[in-house]
Amino acid sequence: MKKKCLVFGLIAAMLIGSFTGCSSKKSNNQATENNGTKETTTETKETTDDAQNTDETSGDTKANVEPVAITVWHDGADNIMQTIQDYVNEQLSADQITVTFEKKTGLTDQLKLYGNDSANGPDLYFYAHDSLGMFAEMGILAPVTDLVEASTMGDFLPMTVDACTYKDTQYMMPVYFETLLFMYNKALWEGEVPSTMDEIYDYMVAHTDTKAGTYALVNQHSTAYNVAPIINGFGGYIINEDAKPGLNEQATKDAITYNKKFAELEADGDYNTVTTLFNEGKAAAIMGGPWLVSGIQEAGIDLGIKALSSITLPNGNALAPYSGVQGIGVLKYAAENKKEAIAKVLTAISTDGLGIALCKSANCAPANGKSYNDADVSVNEMAMAMRATASTAVPMPNIPEMSVMWGPAESLLAAVNKSGDDVEKVADQYQKDAETAIKDMQ
Amino acid sequence: MMNKKTKKRIGLILLNIFFLTICFLALIPILYAFTLSVSGEGGAISSSMLPTSFTLKNYAAVLNEKPFLVWFKNSMVLSVGTMIVAMSFAVVAAYAFSRFQFRGKRAVLLLLLLLNAFPQILSMFAIFRLFKTLNLLNSQGGLILIYAGSMCIFSIWNMKGYFDTIPIEIEEASKIDGASNGQLLTKIILPLARPAIIVTSVMVLIFVWNEYLFATTFLLNDNSYTLAGGLYQLQANDYTRSWPMFTAAAIMVSIPILIIFFAIQKYMVSGLTAGGVKG
Amino acid sequence: MKRKKRLPWLYSTPALLLISAIIVFPILYTGYISFTNMNVFHWFDYKLIGFQNYQRALLKVDSGFLKAILTTLVWTIINMVLQVGIAYLIALGLNTPGLKLSRLYKTLLMFPWAMPAYVSILLWRVGIYNTEFGLLNKILVALGCDKMNFLSENVPAFLSCMVLNLWMALPFMIMMIDGALQSVDRCYYESATLDGAGFLVKNLYITIPSIKKIIAPAVIMTTFTTFKQFDIIYLLTLQKGSLTGSTLQTIITYAHQNAFVSNNYGLSSAVSIVIFLIIIVFSLYTNRGIKEEV
Repeated sequence: MKKKCLVFGLIAAMLIGSFTGCSSKKSNNQATENNGTKETTTETKETTDDAQNTDETSGDTKANVEPVAITVWHDGADNIMQTIQDYVNEQLSADQITVTFEKKTGLTDQLKLYGNDSANGPDLYFYAHDSLGMFAEMGILAPVTDLVEASTMGDFLPMTVDACTYKDTQYMMPVYFETLLFMYNKALWEGEVPSTMDEIYDYMVAHTDTKAGTYALVNQHSTAYNVAPIINGFGGYIINEDAKPGLNEQATKDAITYNKKFAELEADGDYNTVTTLFNEGKAAAIMGGPWLVSGIQEAGIDLGIKALSSITLPNGNALAPYSGVQGIGVLKYAAENKKEAIAKVLTAISTDGLGIALCKSANCAPANGKSYNDADVSVNEMAMAMRATASTAVPMPNIPEMSVMWGPAESLLAAVNKSGDDVEKVADQYQKDAETAIKDMQ
Repeated sequence: MMNKKTKKRIGLILLNIFFLTICFLALIPILYAFTLSVSGEGGAISSSMLPTSFTLKNYAAVLNEKPFLVWFKNSMVLSVGTMIVAMSFAVVAAYAFSRFQFRGKRAVLLLLLLLNAFPQILSMFAIFRLFKTLNLLNSQGGLILIYAGSMCIFSIWNMKGYFDTIPIEIEEASKIDGASNGQLLTKIILPLARPAIIVTSVMVLIFVWNEYLFATTFLLNDNSYTLAGGLYQLQANDYTRSWPMFTAAAIMVSIPILIIFFAIQKYMVSGLTAGGVKG
Repeated sequence: MKRKKRLPWLYSTPALLLISAIIVFPILYTGYISFTNMNVFHWFDYKLIGFQNYQRALLKVDSGFLKAILTTLVWTIINMVLQVGIAYLIALGLNTPGLKLSRLYKTLLMFPWAMPAYVSILLWRVGIYNTEFGLLNKILVALGCDKMNFLSENVPAFLSCMVLNLWMALPFMIMMIDGALQSVDRCYYESATLDGAGFLVKNLYITIPSIKKIIAPAVIMTTFTTFKQFDIIYLLTLQKGSLTGSTLQTIITYAHQNAFVSNNYGLSSAVSIVIFLIIIVFSLYTNRGIKEEV
């Protein structure tokens, strides 16, 4: 009888223990062990307020500035984030502001949960601009113009600022932008790279041996982003400003048909496959961007680059890829709690030096126009090619509806390119899927 | 007699060949990962089955550059912690469901099974809300509760099935000798059900060891990740993955489980047959 | 006497409390959200809107959904039959007296289970099924055949997913059956051998009846896991950025594709609840085994 109670008592104790003691102790340990960016940030939140109060009364400024830690979540390449982190921290070392970039796989899902959690969530996030509208509608972002003057971005390429603006409010500070490029292996590509798609196709027919596994050009031919240059160039669209999907527009269908004949000569189209083919010298060219460069360099390939804006389609238009602006957004609670520190971080990010550093370390195309005055940037083939492409590029739509468009668009491309469906027959079906998905958002 | 012995030996040789083949086939994807992990740099995935060059520097890099040992420690804490919580709760509950006849037993067991049919990934948001209120976000204790709760139903069912096969006469004999329910459980049932308990514990352990979605959602900084979570966080993105590092880390994540598994096997022999108590 | 009644509840309370918090609460919460209009446009200011989401959720039960149910059933049945059958034979082999290396074999066979699921799936996608570098296509090319895309059409994709599922799930099943075989008394076999019983007879009349009760819970649980399997089919064929073109959908991937990508939590919660109810109805009416087991 006593034993029974004992057994139960022990179990109850364990349950309580695991709920309270164990967990809180652990999390505290964790935070202190880790120099707890989170812990210190919450502390400093209070202390900065205090400090400001005392500052006002004593009139003593800058003498004892409390350190502020800023956390940025990202889902990008480590070397790029490291460059930004180092640059900003160096700029702000006098202000006692430390910025830390933390990698979060599935950033959008994480922000849906933590975007409103000032205790655990980040202060800033670094991501492409196409998900901006969704976050803005959710109400977790603060406009950057609340924190810094619009004139801070006076030197920025207008396209980048436009991309970061949703419903006339700028929610993101652009840092750099990307477009697709025609990248080729100088040792393998024979002669000049043609400047029309039809000539490229002829070259591909002559130089592709799928059975032996050697290709002239590879591309992720069934992802919407990688086919967008053709779709946009044909005058079609994936989704327009009025949130209307355009998968069954005649121009889109023509573009997909045109793309299909290329797709047949472009291997499987999976990212891992096409990059490996190129890096191993089994493909002479690839549609890609700066994110491929580190792998290409490791493989020791002599890389040549051609801007897509200098390649024309049969209708005379140049290829018009999507441009993706990578930038920094501010979470609402952080804008309220750490206004001054974040303003300083954003100001540091807006300077032309960051663009120069990023261009040197990772071939990024800076958003700040002044960065291009730098000698190293102006001779960086890749950055300059992307800047040239910006003239014909279409900024990715940043309306919330865009987030549900990638799926149906990719399904349509895969159905046509991989399962051999006829675009005329299936386009309507995927258009309907897209419309349903958009309707389901409401 | 001689004939029978040779026949048996030939049988064993064939069986060994069979198992070697099976093991080889099962390990092909792992060998592929191993080949990638020892063949130096490059974003390549096109390795042949045999490595062209051999280097252990990716393993060294995983150990040195990433907080691998910290993650290893976290994985240990979480999986052992979950095992203790889940098993201690589940063993007593399974004992109750196996040994007592009471109203509502069938209904509860059936209900548990049906609850298990709810895809767990859909629970993420609700658990997030609950944990935020209870201030359990970013804590290993909180995660242990999630894991233990997720594995509890499986553990109860699995052990109840085994307890049912232990003849009740053994217990009744001990009861006459004056043993309490607690004693019955610890002295008789647990040793007799050792294989089931070990199998279930291993199941819980491996589940926690390999879980990454909850681990990366509910733990927030680099130093609190588990091995599977850290690997997912750093290498799940196609565009930033380094294949050699990824495969090296993946193999290193798996090795501890295999060591544990190899070590516990000799304890998996049943108390029933080994102890010779069978009534 | 009253105590005697309370005792089993007392014993199971801790487990039931934990299950309530981690399993039951989320289901109830999902139920609550399903009656609200929580979506991107009402992320914080959502309100109750009654059964509207359910009306829309039921519209999703169309021909595509029925096809997904059928696929899921076929998927579950084939996988379970193969899984239990193969695991049983392998476990029997491993328990052959005199097989000295059985511990090593068992450990090696556990390897697939010791890897996180996304790692295994990725390895299979690029290492086995890939059109350029995958082992299967290397073999095909070596034999002089054309390369084949194993994941782009439904039937090969189904088989590919199934092989991978077996690879990932067999270790667990082998371990369960192996553990259960330990409990079979050897003296039964001895007397059976004396009576001149062959391999088949021994298995049908001794081994299987002895372990049936022990492995039944594991088999039932695995059936549910297989039924709601998401990772394999999704990561192998439906992942954004590397769609393969197959239109294979199970109930869960169908729901994901049709309700979850839209970030409409109200609607997707309603869909979840509908699917949950469907699963319950299915398991109550089709699986008599469960009731026997209780």
